[in-house]
Amino acid sequence: MSQGLLSDAFLISLIAGAVAAGIPLLLAGLGEQVSEKAGVLNIGIEGMMLFGAYAGFATAFGTGSLWLGFLAGAAGGLVLALLMALFCVRLGLNQIVIGIALTLGADGITALLHHVQFSRTYPRLPRVETLDIPGLSEIPILGPSLFARHPMVYVALFSVLVLTWLFRKTHVGLNLQAAGDKPDALDAAGISVVSTRTWSVLFTGVMAGLGGAYMAMIGAGIFVPFMTGGAGFIAIVLAMLARGRPLWVLIGAFLFGASLSLTTALQVGGVNVPTDVVQMLPFLMVMIVLVLFARRASLPAALGLPYVRGQR
Amino acid sequence: MAGMLKRTILATLVPALAALGLAAIVTGAQAQEIDKIAVLVPEQGTDYGWNQQGVDAARAVGAAMGVEVLAAEGLGYGDVRPTLRELAAEGADLMIAHASGYNTAAPEIAAETGVAVAIVDNPGAAAPGLVGDYTVSGHQGAYLAGMLAAQLSRTGTLGIVVSGEPPSWNSQSAGFAMGARSVNADVKLLYAVIGPAAYADAAGGKRVTESVIAAGADIVFGQGDGSTFGMLQAVETVPATDGGKVLFIDVIGDKSEIDKGHLLSSVVWNLVPVYGAMVEDLKGGTFGTVNYAIQLADDSVQLLRTAHISDEVWAGLMDARAGIVAGEIEVPAIWEATDVRAMMSSVEAAE
Repeated sequence: MSQGLLSDAFLISLIAGAVAAGIPLLLAGLGEQVSEKAGVLNIGIEGMMLFGAYAGFATAFGTGSLWLGFLAGAAGGLVLALLMALFCVRLGLNQIVIGIALTLGADGITALLHHVQFSRTYPRLPRVETLDIPGLSEIPILGPSLFARHPMVYVALFSVLVLTWLFRKTHVGLNLQAAGDKPDALDAAGISVVSTRTWSVLFTGVMAGLGGAYMAMIGAGIFVPFMTGGAGFIAIVLAMLARGRPLWVLIGAFLFGASLSLTTALQVGGVNVPTDVVQMLPFLMVMIVLVLFARRASLPAALGLPYVRGQR
Repeated sequence: MAGMLKRTILATLVPALAALGLAAIVTGAQAQEIDKIAVLVPEQGTDYGWNQQGVDAARAVGAAMGVEVLAAEGLGYGDVRPTLRELAAEGADLMIAHASGYNTAAPEIAAETGVAVAIVDNPGAAAPGLVGDYTVSGHQGAYLAGMLAAQLSRTGTLGIVVSGEPPSWNSQSAGFAMGARSVNADVKLLYAVIGPAAYADAAGGKRVTESVIAAGADIVFGQGDGSTFGMLQAVETVPATDGGKVLFIDVIGDKSEIDKGHLLSSVVWNLVPVYGAMVEDLKGGTFGTVNYAIQLADDSVQLLRTAHISDEVWAGLMDARAGIVAGEIEVPAIWEATDVRAMMSSVEAAE
């Protein structure tokens, strides 16, 4: 390994890049996991991320506040999630078809809004302020790259703990599990399957919106049409492979981000292998690791199936 | 006498007409009237880059030649077959599919509807009268950009960040490398691809550019569509390893209007001559049988001058431009990604 590849600045940028790429996937993947746990395959998450990205960036640019941007991003994802909940949970329409339609709709609407508002000026946000964690941020290389990030990074990490606790220790977690595995049993216990699934879909929208907002405001500092570029679909894959375990979404998201940084390192390091091969690394690594270590878990039995009381 | 003249004319014209007819059948090319052309672009035609150049050039050709122009913008990178069918149904005589991602769908729709299409980055798909390819490149301009960057770099390290490896990007990356090395044979070139087709990946553009800057680059040559804005964001917010400003060299369009002081130059394309030639070829029955190029000689490729470039440096660049136009400096077009990567330095070499 050359000295150049081991220079502090380069290593810090690679690790920070992995975090920047991983956080949107983590937020969206956790949201998708909740939805899937409740039995709703939320294919529209790509559109929710895109809506969140637009709403977050537009608000942050307009107000100068990233936190208001995150709030707007969450609201943007929520708007699309409301439609998803209405069509798929309340009306029982096909989840895949509606999810794709929502994504395509979000593609068009956000491109149009961008065209009207930003297409002659392409505004960019200023450099993001970081929250340095005392002590940890001073660790060489790892400190500035992992512990001197925007607070939303820590919020995303904390949400892994919260969801793990929620799934394992609370009635909410049990209800979600039952809505996805045995919705009849949940219904028989007097808890509304439709309400449980509706709330889970709305939560997914909020998380996906936050992920999109992070991508636009912090990851890029700008919004451009189609910028999510399939990140929502990767989040779906992460959630499915993690099979109900938030920690595995975290591992998958950061593995993906780290692999992206590794591809950059290999290229900048002058490794002359076809770029397509290098670019496959993130997908291959995530699949291999999750298939090897998370293969025992199973997907909810009623995933993707609408619930109609009395119907088998 | 009159009978002999008649026989002579017939004897001359019949074979000639037969030969012309045979040629038309063989080539499939037929002259036609052009009333309406369409241009399809994946992003909005206001990106100061690839999409804008495509739309603006089509409109300019339409205005100059009295042809109606249908612009379909923001189509994304998915399936454009429905849009192509719709434009064909609306009477387009030529559909310019201005994205390499469209070069599979467009020939299919051309065969289906009989409406001629122009595609990029797939010369092998050209079909007389039906499919024309315009895989153009500003590699001559990129050579000048490389010379400029090598002269102004403080660290002696230059970055090349691309959103994919289509032939046009490859040849410009290669041209940039050749130009830089013509000034400084020891210049370090750090090359990174954001993704296989990361044209709109602004976050990826920022992430990769930040890494290239951290590895020592103080001037970045960026090629992308929407992802270019992420590259710009990186050069505007991250200092070079020497603590100084990072400068950016763009391609295709002119982003001076939205620059925050980091735009060093741009290899600006003008596609008007290309689109104009396509319309003429379609009218003349030679569409799909000829290649199109942009070049310094006719100013369809130009290097943008900004305030960062002194008179002295600019004069040297213009001398080099004259040398390229005169053929004294050869800038070959290198289309293959493997050849481009072989020209780059590694960080190891940079030490």
